[in-house]
Amino acid sequence: MSAALPLPLQLIWLIPIYGFSGMLLSLPWATGWIKRNGPRPAAYLNLLVTLLAVVHGSLVIRSVYDIGPQHVDLAWFQAADLNLRIGFDLSLTNLAALEFVTAMSLICQIYALGYLDKEWSLARFYALIGFFEGAMSGVVLSSNLFMSYFLLEMLTLSTYLLVGFWYAQPLVVTAARDAFLTKRVGDVLLLMGVVALSAFAGSMEFNDLYDWAGNLKGTGALGPVGISLLGLGLIAGPMGKCAQFPMHLWLDEAMEGPNPASILRNSVVVTCGAIVLMKLMPIVQLSPVATDVLLVVGAISAIGGALVSLAQVDLKRAFSYSTTSYLGLVFIAIALQLPGIALLLLFAHGLARALQFMGVGSIIATTNCQDLTELGGIGTRMPATSLAFIIGSAGVVGLLPLGSFWCYGLMVNSLQDSAPGFAVVFLLTNLLTATNSTRVYRSLFLGEPLPKTKRAPEVNWLMALPMVSLSVIVLLLPAMMQRIDPVPGIASFSLPVAVAVSLSGLIGVVIGALVPLDQFWSRSTTPWIRTLQDLLAYDFYTPEIYRRTVVSLVANLAQFTRWVDLNVIKSLADGVGNLSMATANDLKLSVSGKTQSYVLTVLFAIVLLLGVLQIGRGG
Amino acid sequence: MLLSSLLLIPFLGTAVLLLWPGEQPLGRLRLVTIAILLVQLVASLVITVQFDPSIAGMQLQEFHSWLPGIGLDYSLGIDGLSLPLVLINAALTLVSAIITRDIDRRPRIYFAMLLLISGAVNGAFIADNLLLFFLFYELELIPLWLLISVWGGANKAYAATKFLIFTAISGMLILGAFLGLALLTGSVDFSLTPVLSDRLAMGGQIVLLLAILLGFGIKIPLVPLHNWLPDAHTQAATPVSVLLAGVLLKLGTYGLLRFGLQLFPEAWAELAPGLAIWAAISVLYGSLAAIAQTDMKRMVAFSSVGHMGYVLLAAAANTPISLLGAVFQMVAHGLISALLFLLVGIVYRKTGTRDLKVLHGLLSPEKGLPLTGTLMILAVMASAGLPGMAGFISEFLVFRGSIAAFPVATLLSMVGSGLTAVYFLLLVNRAFFGRLSITPNSDDPIKDARLDVQLAPVAPRETYPAIALAAAIVALGLLPFGLSYLSETSITALAMQSMGVS
Repeated sequence: MSAALPLPLQLIWLIPIYGFSGMLLSLPWATGWIKRNGPRPAAYLNLLVTLLAVVHGSLVIRSVYDIGPQHVDLAWFQAADLNLRIGFDLSLTNLAALEFVTAMSLICQIYALGYLDKEWSLARFYALIGFFEGAMSGVVLSSNLFMSYFLLEMLTLSTYLLVGFWYAQPLVVTAARDAFLTKRVGDVLLLMGVVALSAFAGSMEFNDLYDWAGNLKGTGALGPVGISLLGLGLIAGPMGKCAQFPMHLWLDEAMEGPNPASILRNSVVVTCGAIVLMKLMPIVQLSPVATDVLLVVGAISAIGGALVSLAQVDLKRAFSYSTTSYLGLVFIAIALQLPGIALLLLFAHGLARALQFMGVGSIIATTNCQDLTELGGIGTRMPATSLAFIIGSAGVVGLLPLGSFWCYGLMVNSLQDSAPGFAVVFLLTNLLTATNSTRVYRSLFLGEPLPKTKRAPEVNWLMALPMVSLSVIVLLLPAMMQRIDPVPGIASFSLPVAVAVSLSGLIGVVIGALVPLDQFWSRSTTPWIRTLQDLLAYDFYTPEIYRRTVVSLVANLAQFTRWVDLNVIKSLADGVGNLSMATANDLKLSVSGKTQSYVLTVLFAIVLLLGVLQIGRGG
Repeated sequence: MLLSSLLLIPFLGTAVLLLWPGEQPLGRLRLVTIAILLVQLVASLVITVQFDPSIAGMQLQEFHSWLPGIGLDYSLGIDGLSLPLVLINAALTLVSAIITRDIDRRPRIYFAMLLLISGAVNGAFIADNLLLFFLFYELELIPLWLLISVWGGANKAYAATKFLIFTAISGMLILGAFLGLALLTGSVDFSLTPVLSDRLAMGGQIVLLLAILLGFGIKIPLVPLHNWLPDAHTQAATPVSVLLAGVLLKLGTYGLLRFGLQLFPEAWAELAPGLAIWAAISVLYGSLAAIAQTDMKRMVAFSSVGHMGYVLLAAAANTPISLLGAVFQMVAHGLISALLFLLVGIVYRKTGTRDLKVLHGLLSPEKGLPLTGTLMILAVMASAGLPGMAGFISEFLVFRGSIAAFPVATLLSMVGSGLTAVYFLLLVNRAFFGRLSITPNSDDPIKDARLDVQLAPVAPRETYPAIALAAAIVALGLLPFGLSYLSETSITALAMQSMGVS
């Protein structure tokens, strides 16, 4: 670390510490050591440190703007040829992501003050959010794979704890379990890749890994199978984090957690996963198999997620599947070597999705209900929420000139010649997403008020303020994107492409507006529609497929091992023991005190011994 | 004299407790024991300060000729491999003594045996002579057998006898190997320093090494020699389990490194591929068996079987990093399993059961055991290898050091690490999440929900040892360089020595 660097850059290691210190600062309230004045101070302390992180981040951006990208690292652990470092890559892209993470965290924390107003374990929530934020801000800045992995796993842990926040409810228990285990599968596969890379490439710095990957073809150190396995291992981690097929179940179940955490999960956490994938892409692309898998997974997630979201009656789940779908699009963009557009898409999607989830949270907070069939006619009662929801949805869908529209345009423009199939995937996803958003909007805000929505007031200012601010940000997003991506400009696509994107969005809106919505008959009586609805509503029966394959495989293996342990190994050990005990017991009875029987035994033994010796000699 | 103090303090303490005239109350005996163990901990820390990490070989050596005719000398020494284990022993015996609050009979003998074990384990770690090591290795056996068979659970006689038989066989095999080494080399020099085995034919080396492997394999324990461990753990009292898992199993892995790898480097290199596979089988078997357990303590015991397999994998790979990982894993497993057993012990004491089918929702803040639950989550996450805690850096070093040599076995062991998350998550989810109830599930939600439980709160002083262990686990996970600073030179020398030979 050079002393000449400006102070904010020298202190860059503080950035993740802010979040983690928020966790530590909340502990006295979370554990109940301080009971006198309620848990609010923990929340204020967390807000304060997050604000510090935001300010520090913007100071760093200003410095980097002046002196160019920097690399800062510190030694952490060194042994033999292993050198693990804490490294920060201070490029404008990474810093923009950092600001995104910390600012979203700040907004969500203010929102949570309102949303979790009467929650008795508010301090625990803020402790977890601090932990969450610390890990995420480290991931986006990380300059080496080891640190990225380290922090990704911390994200897994904090997701588990946040989803399991209301741990006394049965659905929460299974949701937390599934969230942890699904991500853990991805993480273990990623760890295999990390360990292999560390052993074969030596360094863990991304830049050194890129050099190693560049020279690998020449050296032939790893066979094609090895490279494919490595690539597959590396993409598994981000797949789990971004809730991609077949590891997508957890995000939907994770909706059992508190809504402010859902906002973060659906916007920034998935972004972190995608950013790690982006950093790994130069290594992954060595393997055509891994790249193909990325494309296939992305396409299945995009279309499948969008379809499944159409059939959900749970308000939060209707959008969580949509997140899976959008991250599928991001995966396609990354796999096709379009990281710039992928970043823009992540950014646009993250902000708009967060806004959408804030609107959803407001409705849930006011009505204590998240069942679409029981909601309706809220539009006139909650105007700010309604507006936020519209802006958020418009920001996600490519129809109006908000964030996602430009991303779709750029994407379809680059794909129309090279990979027209994927351009169709994008347009189709756009269409389905528009349908879903319109459908949900209609059943939430239009129509007659139902019992649960008749007396629904607008939310309190702690929730309304972040929601309205974020609405303004989403509206201004295209201008910001224009500044981030100045060279070709975000409008550098042809008119037919723009028309195609708008048309796909428009068709979606029209379908969504025309599709019959009946609160009572939400499950259709027509057999074939019903079958289709069930198929989508139950996520193509993926949970059932899991239960019958992976889960039952592990369970059966475990039962088999237990059986072997009890019936083979334990009986063997017991058998030997019992045999000796039994022999001893029998011999005990033979102690009769009669000299004749002893002599007879000795005689018999001598004869036997001599006989054996004779046979042995003869043989 | 410094190293002798590690023997003198606990052995004198044993004598004091046994010879103390009159009937003494439990509390006073406990305090005296804690005081003695604190002195032992201080002595261990003084040794750590005196220890020079830049020297590869044995340090602070002491030598007195004892029975030169049979090659038994009072010869002590310590290096980067044994020092961390001595520290763990001092710390965990102290924890064991502190958490002993309610034993129903003969507290005097109980605490005396605790001190005797601690001294014997110290002796085994710092012995610089094969026969002296064996003496201490056997010495630890009797008091532990007593601890299980006198202060154990309902089925204690069975478990204690099984433990005794298995460990006695282990001792015989090890003694046989040591004597065989003398027989084949024709010398009665049992000091550890010279590598005797290079004078032997490969066949003889392999036979001796196999005896060593089986002997220590029982102690570690490795599948299929593990059968004594789950029974011993389930029947032993909590402090004894803490000691057994945290310290005594390390005698096995220590012996494997010291008397397997270091004495027979050539034969070790021959057998290494097989050992790596054995390690992977042990890891997977232990993890899968743990998934199927419903007794919390048995589950933790099987997780020990799985996690000690990593040490064998690391030893088989025999690279500086993997061996360093082995030391880390020994320390990390000592801390983590001690914490797990301690917490299971608290649950057992408060609820009267360890059955995962019966316990639900213990995390409940008002009526349950919230702090115990929180620490349990930390402990299982550490055990599952989550970064920021001791388990992760240990496993990372083991895997990173082994993958180039044995890719398949390493990847299989990593699957075992994933399975650890499965069974421990099941444990936390079943016992700590959900609605608080302590009743078998009857498929009748109304019946299950009606039984309202109010558990006795856990006094803060009961949790201090657990908090200290948790802090140590996090500290080792975030600041691993302290331990590697102590061990690296010795470990690298150990790895290099065998490289030079082969």
